Amino acid sequence: MAALPAMRQLGCLRSFFKTQEAIQPQISRRFISTTYSQRPKRVPFPSNIPEQFLSQIPVRHQPQNAPKPIKVYPPPPSTRAVCKDPIASVTESQLAEIDPKGERKALFDYRRNPRSIKQGDIVRVTFKNGDPFNGVVLSIKMRGIDTSFLMRNELTRVAVEMSVKVFNPNVSSVEIVQRAERKPRRARLYYMRSRKHDRRSVENVVAAYVRQKKAFMGGGRRR
Amino acid sequence: MSPRLPGKLLQLSSSIWAAQCTLPRGPVRSFGIKSLNEAKPSRFNVGPGLPVLESTSTAALRRKANSLPLRSGAIATKKGMTAVYDPETGKRTPCTVLQLDRVEVVSHKTRQKHGYFAVQVGSGWKHPSNMTKSLLGHFSANGLSPKRHVFEFRVKDESGLLPVGQSIQANWFQEGQYVDARSNTKGKGFAGVMKRHGFHGQDRSHGVSLTHRSLGSSGPGQGGGSRVYPGKKMAGNMGNTQNTVQNLKILKVDSETGVVVVSGAVSGPKGCTVRIQDAIKKPWPEVAPAAESVTA
Repeated sequence: MAALPAMRQLGCLRSFFKTQEAIQPQISRRFISTTYSQRPKRVPFPSNIPEQFLSQIPVRHQPQNAPKPIKVYPPPPSTRAVCKDPIASVTESQLAEIDPKGERKALFDYRRNPRSIKQGDIVRVTFKNGDPFNGVVLSIKMRGIDTSFLMRNELTRVAVEMSVKVFNPNVSSVEIVQRAERKPRRARLYYMRSRKHDRRSVENVVAAYVRQKKAFMGGGRRR
Repeated sequence: MSPRLPGKLLQLSSSIWAAQCTLPRGPVRSFGIKSLNEAKPSRFNVGPGLPVLESTSTAALRRKANSLPLRSGAIATKKGMTAVYDPETGKRTPCTVLQLDRVEVVSHKTRQKHGYFAVQVGSGWKHPSNMTKSLLGHFSANGLSPKRHVFEFRVKDESGLLPVGQSIQANWFQEGQYVDARSNTKGKGFAGVMKRHGFHGQDRSHGVSLTHRSLGSSGPGQGGGSRVYPGKKMAGNMGNTQNTVQNLKILKVDSETGVVVVSGAVSGPKGCTVRIQDAIKKPWPEVAPAAESVTA
């Protein structure tokens, strides 16, 4: 009896064995209206009909007036097959112009590149025109050519956030000032906007970095 | 109803019957109430200096002559949106990517036969078994493969009629020129008046119950005829109607991949069919070399 429950699992196979018996008798039990019949084959028009009979057939049914088969022309080569994702191709051509070496892309590709900028890092962005902006990276939005990152800082005791498009040609450089102490557990650090978690100003950190860098560069020049 | 002839006349010989026919008819009978004094002609609507009435088809075409493009447009598919940067100025332009696929001229509409000039253009490919015989015959008569989309583009005169079977590539448009894009907007389904017409709805409280998002009154009472006027804005199906976005600049063109990049947004979801034609509110593009290559 111990084997019985295991046998029950195979009960579904019963239908396989029964199919032959079950379907065969059903055909005979069908209604007349549903019995299968062969599709009638087209009977070719008899060729040797006397003229007197042929003239009695309606004009549109006479063999010479039968509808001619429509010629279907093949389609020309498709551009859709050549380029299946035009948005990607447009983006690629843009990136080849703006970021030919792919450095910027790698700098923000935090999912693939371990050395990239990550959420929680303090960065310094310099623009072609105007002042640099420093801040903690709250989030990185990967959107192809529209990839951007959001920075937060405090200027004159007012919290400031700035979103910068990575591939904007007006962005001349992005430097990592300080890495996050440990990897944050979120992809978007919007909790840093709350008073409890706010990082406040990062200016002193950046100032120290700039001083150090200047000394390093200056030392290099003196030699 | 013709006046009935007396029975005797029918029996007369044929010559007399013919003579009867040639006789001039009497005054036309008219029915109804007639005025004894005939209406005076209007003092204002007579005279030699009046303009000719312009309710003819020729006049209609003349009126449209300045707003009809000189050449045909193309059928494209909306692929989605992205942005283009100008490397010098760093200016970012949001843009829509369109793709032209197997766009060919199917037939013409002419003034003589149809009353106006237009180019019938088809794009894509459709399996012939999914097509009606009449449409299939229309394509095969012009020596074309069955097309999925067929649209007409009105042109000013016969000089804008491309030869049938001519394929329209992406380089039909030039970078920097302006186009109008017409397509169906995104369907929103059955929408209420607040969403559909921007009504303000009703109060949250102050005794309002169950009608916070509905319209107020649908019309005046006894003084206004006690009826709802035609065209009253009400809830109903929203979206999925044709919309034209004018003056989109062409940013990029690639005839190999059929890609046309236009600035700004185009109505409708991704994958919708978009008709693009030269913008009617901008000067016509200089297409002399293109027109020559078409005829050659």
